[in-house]
Amino acid sequence: MEGAGGHRPPLIREGPVGRYILKRLLLAIPVLFGVSVVVFAAIRLIPGDPAQIMAGQAATREVVEEIRTALGLDRPIPVQYLYFLRNALRGDLGRSLFNGAPVVEELAQRFPRTVRLALASMLVAAAIGIPAGIVAATHRLSWVDTFVMILALAGVSIPVFWLGLNLILVFSVRLGWLPAFGHETWRHLVLPAVTLGTASAAVVARMTRSAMLEVLSQEYVRTARAKGVPEGRVIRRHALRNALIPVVTILGLQLGTLLSGAVLTETVFAWPGVGRLLVDAVLARDYPIVQGTILLIATTFVVLNMLVDVLYAFLDPRIRYA
Amino acid sequence: MSQVRTVGVALVLLTVLILPAISAPVAPQPGGTLVIGRGADSVTLSPYASAAPDAEVIAHIAETLYELTPDGRIVPRLAESLPRMGPDGRSMTIRLRRGIRFHDGTPFDASAVKWNFDFILNPENRAPFRAILLGEVTGVDVLDPYTVRLNLRRPFVPLLAHLTHDFLAIHSPTAVQRAGGMRPPTGEPYGRQPVGTGPFRFREWVRGDRIVLERNPEYWGPSKPLLDQIVWRVIPDDGARVLALEGGQIQVAVRVPPRETTRLALNRALRIERTSSVRTIYIAFNNQKPPFTDVRVRQAFNYAVNKRAIVQTVLGGAARVSDAPISPGIVGYSPIQPGGWPYDVNRARQLLAEAGQGGGVNVTILHPTGRYVQDAAVAAAVQAQLRAAGINARLQTMEWAAYLAYTNQPPDRTPVEMFMLGWGTVTGDADYGLYSLFHSSQWAPNGFNRFFYRNPQVDQLLDQARSETNAARRNDLYRQAMTLIWRDAPWIFLHSESQVTGLRREVEGLVVHPTERILAHTAWLRR
Repeated sequence: MEGAGGHRPPLIREGPVGRYILKRLLLAIPVLFGVSVVVFAAIRLIPGDPAQIMAGQAATREVVEEIRTALGLDRPIPVQYLYFLRNALRGDLGRSLFNGAPVVEELAQRFPRTVRLALASMLVAAAIGIPAGIVAATHRLSWVDTFVMILALAGVSIPVFWLGLNLILVFSVRLGWLPAFGHETWRHLVLPAVTLGTASAAVVARMTRSAMLEVLSQEYVRTARAKGVPEGRVIRRHALRNALIPVVTILGLQLGTLLSGAVLTETVFAWPGVGRLLVDAVLARDYPIVQGTILLIATTFVVLNMLVDVLYAFLDPRIRYA
Repeated sequence: MSQVRTVGVALVLLTVLILPAISAPVAPQPGGTLVIGRGADSVTLSPYASAAPDAEVIAHIAETLYELTPDGRIVPRLAESLPRMGPDGRSMTIRLRRGIRFHDGTPFDASAVKWNFDFILNPENRAPFRAILLGEVTGVDVLDPYTVRLNLRRPFVPLLAHLTHDFLAIHSPTAVQRAGGMRPPTGEPYGRQPVGTGPFRFREWVRGDRIVLERNPEYWGPSKPLLDQIVWRVIPDDGARVLALEGGQIQVAVRVPPRETTRLALNRALRIERTSSVRTIYIAFNNQKPPFTDVRVRQAFNYAVNKRAIVQTVLGGAARVSDAPISPGIVGYSPIQPGGWPYDVNRARQLLAEAGQGGGVNVTILHPTGRYVQDAAVAAAVQAQLRAAGINARLQTMEWAAYLAYTNQPPDRTPVEMFMLGWGTVTGDADYGLYSLFHSSQWAPNGFNRFFYRNPQVDQLLDQARSETNAARRNDLYRQAMTLIWRDAPWIFLHSESQVTGLRREVEGLVVHPTERILAHTAWLRR
């Protein structure tokens, strides 16, 4: 990871930001189209019949056939895909095969909860990861550095459900400070955000450390020190601002991961977001929900990547769109 | 004076300290909210329901004509008395209670019952349980405002048990229309805002999160509901659900994993209840595929498996060794071999040798993972035990949806040799537990006889029992059929599951029903 991401090449150095964004958005169309084809085909190719699951083990074949016809699952898959595409372009992602709820409605209800959890986790990741990385870099090869890096290794290695259950055990069951599940208030957010943010904090700490080390060895830092600039000021003004560029990239990409990878955290804390929705839908072969959720996640990734690139240029004076 | 005071103080102290300790059961106290943590959300609260998480919520809102008590009796609920069968057995006349109103104020009467049953009977509405529960009913007549008659295709005695099923609960026809009707496959939009006659009224449903019911102050029944609210919360992770119970965020946790029970038993704020379930777990043979076409081989497998040890160790005692193809608490059950199929490895080896399989048997056993309590561990235990009898079993698991499809292929195409499944006789009547599984008309993929068992005598007995109105004679027919099935050994008869429920001490009067539903009709919270 040492130094990685520090030289992310900007895609466009010239032209107005607006044109750049437009181009990125146009590029997103074939990406999302490809995703929709793959998801549509893949979920139908794995064995398991939604009509059978819906009807229950005990249903007669007649009932299963009736349900399959009612759901339009008896039509050839390419035909089903064309129907899906036509409706999707109109903003209609269909209805859940199981509870009949419109997919768009379901996502609109759950996505904000996942966003809330992801943003809070990112806050945790940044608040812990950046200071830890700075401390490790400024105390390079000392016991502080070793300690922080061991913690970081533990952070990425600990399974989410183990950490989550232990946090519940300590802060909810033993101390009674925070609720074990639910999503109504900010107090409900603390434990899941720490659980989900820990691994990202570890990644951010390692990235901050290596970026800081790289910057601290630059000549302008040596010059600043030679001029007698106080060490604190060297670190804040001269080193940190430049070291943050790759860190911002990593944070942006982590946000994408947090938005789509919160499945285990959402399960442990009974947090009804899109991660759990997706897993439940895959297990139940609820095709429209699977398609809608994955499209949403893919869109989120595309948009976040674009924002990171724009922000990147904003932070790095060497990169300009205009 | 001071002596009087001392005595007085002592008396007061005595009262304060001792009286609560010796005071007998506290009278039920009204009020409070009961929060139940469970693993899965409901799908619909309408007659389109198809699983236990739907049924247990519906049971509080809408009521059935008859009720199956936890000890397996059928008693009238919205009906006034047990039904009268027509002389030819092809009709069932039911008198209804008077003066009952739905939560929306409209009256409960014969026309409401007819409307509900007509809706389910109409094939266009595609209610998933139509064929299973009302398959033999041809129509419903209103004889007078409080009497209905169900007309039957042929005499069909299990119908009475079917009428206890929550999927046949009576909903308010007016409310269904006002909500915009019920559309297949899940009864939307009414299915999200049900209206019945029950002790609790629907209040709120946040999908994937919680369902909230509130007390119906005008409930007609003799025992009035005490709780202000019942809340079902979805907590999918077993461990997290148990922790929420320990932390007091929920008062009831369903499906406590066996590994947790010893630890939780030490917690004085909690108690653990084990309730038998009507769900039977078995490992079936493909009865049409050699060597399982030979009854001696099937019996040998049964001798080779130590079910008692599995129940004691793998399941922590939270199960009951099967002594019949169905479980106790079901109408028509009787023990066929008390204590279960005996464990006798030598007898197993001997039977295999007689069947020409003395050189060892190789077989693949399919099992689900996470569907039944400790299912994968049970399969592993069976595998280890079979080895002692010279049987080399390979285990294979798959995700549930794929598993259901894989084990549901016709006999000429299926590659399956042995597989583990469970069957919950949720109607509480032996017909549902035996006919659907062992009758030869039910071979997969048409029915649930996925192991291709066929015995003409069993078929005949099961057919006869469907129309036998005399309870004693009917029980006898089932006993005969089960004896034949037991001897034929189309399964390894394993166990029936127990439901392990964790409760906080303050919860009283909660019923964990053998049909895998938590019923809080009479529950209350001690304060």
